Amino acid sequence: MDKRLLPLLPLVAKPARYTNQEVNAQHKNWAEIDVKIALAFPDIYDVGMAHLGYKILYAVINGRKDALAERVYAPWTDMQALMEEQEIPLTALESGQELTSFDLVGFTLQHELSYTNILKMLDLARIPRRSRERSGMQPLIMAGGPSAFNVEPLADFLDFVVLGEGEEIIHEIIDLVKQGKAEGASRDDLLEQLAQVEGIYVPKFYKPVYDQDGRFLSLEPLRPDIPREITKRVIRDFNSLPYPEEFVVPYVEVVHDRVMAEIMRGCTRGCRFCQAGIIYRPVREREPEVLKEQIARLVESTGYEVISLSSLSSGDYGRIGPLVRELIEQYQPCGISVSLPSLRLDSFGVELAQDIQKARKTGLTFAPEAGTQRLRDVINKNVSDQDLMDAVQGAFSAGWSRIKLYFMIGLPTETEEDLQGIVDLAHKVLAWGREFRTSHRRPEVSISVASFVPKPHTPFQWMAQDTMETLRAKQNYLKERLRHPGIHFSYPRVEESFLEAVFARGDRRLAPVIERAADLGCQFDSWTDRFRFDLWMEAFSDLGIDPKFYANRERDLFEPLPWSHLSPGIDADFLRREWELAQEGTTTPDCRWDVCSRCGVCPGLRTANSLVRGERSE
Amino acid sequence: MNNVIRFQFTKGEEVRYLSHLDLLRTMERAGRRAGLPIAFSQGFTARPLMSFSFPLPVGVLSEAEYADFTFAAELGPEEFVQRYNEHLPPGLQIVYAARLPEKTESLQSWINAASWRISLPGTSPEQVEERWRQLQAVDSFVVNRETKKGSREVDIRPFVYDIFQVESYQGGTVFSCRCGLGTESNLRMEELGELLGFSHLEATVTRTGQFKKVGNSYFPPLGNRG
Repeated sequence: MDKRLLPLLPLVAKPARYTNQEVNAQHKNWAEIDVKIALAFPDIYDVGMAHLGYKILYAVINGRKDALAERVYAPWTDMQALMEEQEIPLTALESGQELTSFDLVGFTLQHELSYTNILKMLDLARIPRRSRERSGMQPLIMAGGPSAFNVEPLADFLDFVVLGEGEEIIHEIIDLVKQGKAEGASRDDLLEQLAQVEGIYVPKFYKPVYDQDGRFLSLEPLRPDIPREITKRVIRDFNSLPYPEEFVVPYVEVVHDRVMAEIMRGCTRGCRFCQAGIIYRPVREREPEVLKEQIARLVESTGYEVISLSSLSSGDYGRIGPLVRELIEQYQPCGISVSLPSLRLDSFGVELAQDIQKARKTGLTFAPEAGTQRLRDVINKNVSDQDLMDAVQGAFSAGWSRIKLYFMIGLPTETEEDLQGIVDLAHKVLAWGREFRTSHRRPEVSISVASFVPKPHTPFQWMAQDTMETLRAKQNYLKERLRHPGIHFSYPRVEESFLEAVFARGDRRLAPVIERAADLGCQFDSWTDRFRFDLWMEAFSDLGIDPKFYANRERDLFEPLPWSHLSPGIDADFLRREWELAQEGTTTPDCRWDVCSRCGVCPGLRTANSLVRGERSE
Repeated sequence: MNNVIRFQFTKGEEVRYLSHLDLLRTMERAGRRAGLPIAFSQGFTARPLMSFSFPLPVGVLSEAEYADFTFAAELGPEEFVQRYNEHLPPGLQIVYAARLPEKTESLQSWINAASWRISLPGTSPEQVEERWRQLQAVDSFVVNRETKKGSREVDIRPFVYDIFQVESYQGGTVFSCRCGLGTESNLRMEELGELLGFSHLEATVTRTGQFKKVGNSYFPPLGNRG
């Protein structure tokens, strides 16, 4: 760590966030390293330490003799204030070096409400915000992660953007930077070379064109040898991919502080609202034997007490049952438990939960997403009323007493009937609880309702988000009808969903808004108590930009979209087809068990689903 | 055969800002990395049988922390120290360990005093000694103690037993003192600061011992070996 922070530590909350020296942190000899990379997470340590992608990159980069990776997190506001007062710039945890001493500073873009934190971190590091203001020895600012698939609102701030999976491309980036440094290549020369790498987007080499009405027309390459479309990188041989043998073990309590085994990547369930289901295709499952070895190594090197089997839909993993049972048998006697991040909404999911939670059956969470079968068919959430009934009744009879259900409002074709469906379901679950419970506790049901945010590269990318007024009215409808003993109703604020929708489908004209909001004091926007919607609206109005143009406008199915050059390998015709099918309420089966849905990923990226031999078929 | 090991360990600069809960997690994980056969409690929520002496305030260093670990399999104190030290993070180190006789009182019910070394920048030894002389002349010093149940007045003067080895150090002063610790006679670091006239945020404080005080004698938990 930076020694200048030492006198500040007694004055801030949770000082161990800033002190480094954790078990398995990598300290390399700074002077002997060719390429130095700061992995910057645009939130505090407690949140950022949970990010599996950075754990993987940290291991891959530090596995090279000629490169190092260090961690950087946003200091909390108490520390920021002291750093600004004492004129101490942002530094990396391991070496305490200033960010300006690194060759590359990477940001991961996990969600839209982290954007002001990126600017704040650049400010604290004394790195100019805009790519064109940086020169010479300044580090190259790169970014990746899910929101990279529409990075346009941030385009002006980033030197280059990586689409897709990082394990292979990071080596190509390091090699190019190392060579560029050795040859004394200029910043632009280096960026030009990077732009030739499949999966890398260099925003400054493109210019957007808009029509008189302000609609986006196209993004024009400014140089002849620059690709018009950038396609994501995908790992084809998932089993032989290196996985970290160690995780840094934090001292302070952080989110998801545990061994994380990535049991598979990608999900082909095809939920039409879900961006992750598109951008991480195809499905690749890891062989159980490979997983058990990776888990054993991590347990030994970290001493963690929990093993989590991570993926987008862990219940779908082909050998999930045997894997969970074998892990429990092996690790339970040593006081190590096994956990699953999400449960399938059917009786199989409940059986699995029973294996995992023999004791202390408190709460079980499911995500039906919509209140009626009709609307679930529209969004292709392939869960039937029967599945739901089996899962909930099964859970109560197995001893659980609290069921939490996740829903969304503002989905396409939604009517009052669908809202009433949520209400009816809540009451039904409570009634099932009274009938089937085996626990002495009174049955309870928690209903959590999020406002839907249409995301790029999904079948719903063209639709208008419900206005805030409509969403509020829908929330009130539910609130009035869910006032009942045993039912708890919660809902995030519509303002947050509205801003997410603006930036999710934004274009480059939003950069000044983000900058203005940051100047007005917006940061940690995803922290409900820090979120300042009034300041955001002030920023939009200062720049004469109407946020509703981005959030609440329906796009034409053939209108040029500001993110269409950033390709996850999905066929635009597939998305349009899925949109039409959604209108009819026709479902599309999961290609992992059924026919190919012709999404375009496998032929386009020369890849395929790769599954372990399953114990069951759907 | 009793399978409890009592040990003394340090909390150094590298782990100075760990809270008590952070420390427990860290010690538990290091134990698992070292493959120590720590026993678990019975019941629905099995917890490792590890019990510690009184929590150290965040930011305070220590040369004398204590814990008792119960083991499910035979493990000698020497092997325990060697294996555990290999896996503890920098700043945490076992100094000494011994097998505990049957029916030994728990650390928290036995310990009632601690010694501290306090380093103050910008204070002279004379100032510290003068302050102590003044305090010795009074038999009460009442402070307001904020608790979850509200605020109440506590006389902390009887909880400070002595001050010794007052020396100048790097332009400031370093001195040692012995005070009450635990449920009966506990003294908070900010209260000690108030009593002796220093800011606990500016001081570097090290716990140098924990004891059972009987009359004017101080007995450490591991005998004079500790």
